[in-house]
Amino acid sequence: MITCDEFFAEFGDYLENRIPADVRQRLEEHLSHCRACHVLYDSTLKTLKIVTDSSSFELPSSVSDRIIDRVMARLHKEQS
Amino acid sequence: MPFLREVPLDDDFGPFVAYRESYGFVPNFFRAQALLPRLIEAQASLEGVILMEGKALSRIQKQKIHLVIAAALQDTYWVTTRIATLQSLGVSKLQVGQLLENFQQAGLPTAEVALLDFCLKLSLDWQTVGLEDIEKLRSQQFDDFAILEAVLTCALSRFFSVLSAGVRPEPDFEPYKLTGAGGPAIKSPDRRSFAHGPQPQGRKEPYIRTVYLSPKTFGPFAGVLKTHGFIPNVYRAQSLRPDVLQAASSSVRAILITADVLSRIQKECIFVAVSAAILNSYCVAAHCNLLRGFGLSPEEGDQIALDHHQSSLSTADKSLLDFALKLAVRPSEICLEDIDGLRELGFADEQILECEAITALSNYVNMLQIGLGAEPDFELPRGYEQNKVYLSEAGDRHTGEGSGVPASVMAVEDPDAGFVVKAQVGDLRAFEELIRRHSSSVYRVLMAILGNPEESQDAMQDALLSAFKHIGGFQGRAKFSTWLVSIARNTALQRLRDRKDMQSLDESPEGEEEFRPRQIRAWQDDPEQIHSKSETKKLVEQSILGLPSKYRIVVMLRDIEQLPTEDVARQLGLTVPALKARLLRGRLMLRESLAPHFAASVGKAAI
Repeated sequence: MITCDEFFAEFGDYLENRIPADVRQRLEEHLSHCRACHVLYDSTLKTLKIVTDSSSFELPSSVSDRIIDRVMARLHKEQS
Repeated sequence: MPFLREVPLDDDFGPFVAYRESYGFVPNFFRAQALLPRLIEAQASLEGVILMEGKALSRIQKQKIHLVIAAALQDTYWVTTRIATLQSLGVSKLQVGQLLENFQQAGLPTAEVALLDFCLKLSLDWQTVGLEDIEKLRSQQFDDFAILEAVLTCALSRFFSVLSAGVRPEPDFEPYKLTGAGGPAIKSPDRRSFAHGPQPQGRKEPYIRTVYLSPKTFGPFAGVLKTHGFIPNVYRAQSLRPDVLQAASSSVRAILITADVLSRIQKECIFVAVSAAILNSYCVAAHCNLLRGFGLSPEEGDQIALDHHQSSLSTADKSLLDFALKLAVRPSEICLEDIDGLRELGFADEQILECEAITALSNYVNMLQIGLGAEPDFELPRGYEQNKVYLSEAGDRHTGEGSGVPASVMAVEDPDAGFVVKAQVGDLRAFEELIRRHSSSVYRVLMAILGNPEESQDAMQDALLSAFKHIGGFQGRAKFSTWLVSIARNTALQRLRDRKDMQSLDESPEGEEEFRPRQIRAWQDDPEQIHSKSETKKLVEQSILGLPSKYRIVVMLRDIEQLPTEDVARQLGLTVPALKARLLRGRLMLRESLAPHFAASVGKAAI
């Protein structure tokens, strides 16, 4: 049996799926009966999904085009 | 003619002012490094605390030490310059001549001879140095402060002489003609033998007294802790001189950690290979450990220490290591052809200079460790035991291509390669295609660091122009996209520096573990259905921008830009464990700030 602290110590690697199978098994066993850690795990996973799916900080193509056009105009001018 | 390109630096450049005050002139050795002023600053700060002031040893004693070491290393430049310094300190020409000819018969007091004997032994025959040599000094009434200063002076002397062989400065005065036979040539050790080098003798304390300095209150140790994850014994062993530690930690940061010219991995590879050539397993172990933090496999690190030709480094990087080893072991043989060879492989003069500075720094640290008897660090992070670099067998450690070696040290398949080649010869349409492909990555890395859309768009223009300006120097050792993103990162960091906002990035890692989540309400089953897509995007962006910058950067690079953990660590100059801790905390803070918008309502919370 592992404690919540021990679970938390491995939590980062667990989220990234970077832990050996035996450790994973023990963490999952802990999750199956600890509600607080389960909520933490579930909500953090959902956070990551929301963040990665959000297409945040996409530069609108109009802005991107404007910047690239300006850069290219300057380079053309320097080259001629 | 100096080997490397020189650029003028203003006369009011801080270190130059200090040299004029202390020596009456600015040694050309430093002018020859003007391509990278941070290197000059680093060395000047070390020289300031080690050589320029008399402490337990006098200025004259220390200048004499450098003189005889430089002579033994056939370093005409420093011999000439130190003769002038000694004369300005009142040592007669005759005495200096006797020192150079044979200091043992120069009529010096016994203690002085013993001091110079020790210093020469440490500089030339370091493998035989042991506690008995320290005891000899003690018997001549040198206390631990004086012994520490002697070792520091030797280490800095080697630093300066190795580097002067690499930059070949113009002499400051009429060059002194060294008689070739006078100086003992350095033995060129067989690198493989380091695997069987001295084993630790169970001694846990350095040769000299130490005092406890806490990383919590002593700033330089907080930085060291951040880099290594612990305080290496070679630092602890110098604790009698906190001022030197202070200068050393900022010098190491300027020379080794700053990665705007060579990558951190290239630098650590140089450090490891040079330490191995000096047959010092202490530094090999410590820096192989760091290399692993950057994602290199333990075998690969060992392989670089043992024989880098058998490693999977790129041909160019192998040649760079060849050069570094020659400079470390046979400095007086370095010639212009060596430099030109590196130039032909595409290395810029800045990169060559930096390689030389790291070789010199590695000499410095290795001499300190050997002279102070700092024992291997047994409190290393997990995983160290199996990787102790007392390699059992030198035999056939060969790793194939692609064995977990990060992109930046080997040639990679790059879908952009065709356009890159064209852009490098000035094809603007090819360049435009390249930046269109990667504009969103560039923008996101700028946003990650600057945290402000207007400024990021402005910086994007600078970054793209800078990319075009430097694309000729891109050598294909990383993917073009990685290179472009690192240009953007540097542009952004420069802006932070300009607005003097770096402290927000440099915070110590302390407290990263203490963070525990507070919100423990369950979240809705399908949180992405609660708000519209554009609302969700807005919430996420607001939350991320609300994070303290060091967390914002790692979350953006890892979770928005989706770079692999190792790449993010490398980009930010963090070890993988440090990055992971920061990432977890950033993610949890993000969760905390999103929770009110996605948690199940109180009534539904029960499972």
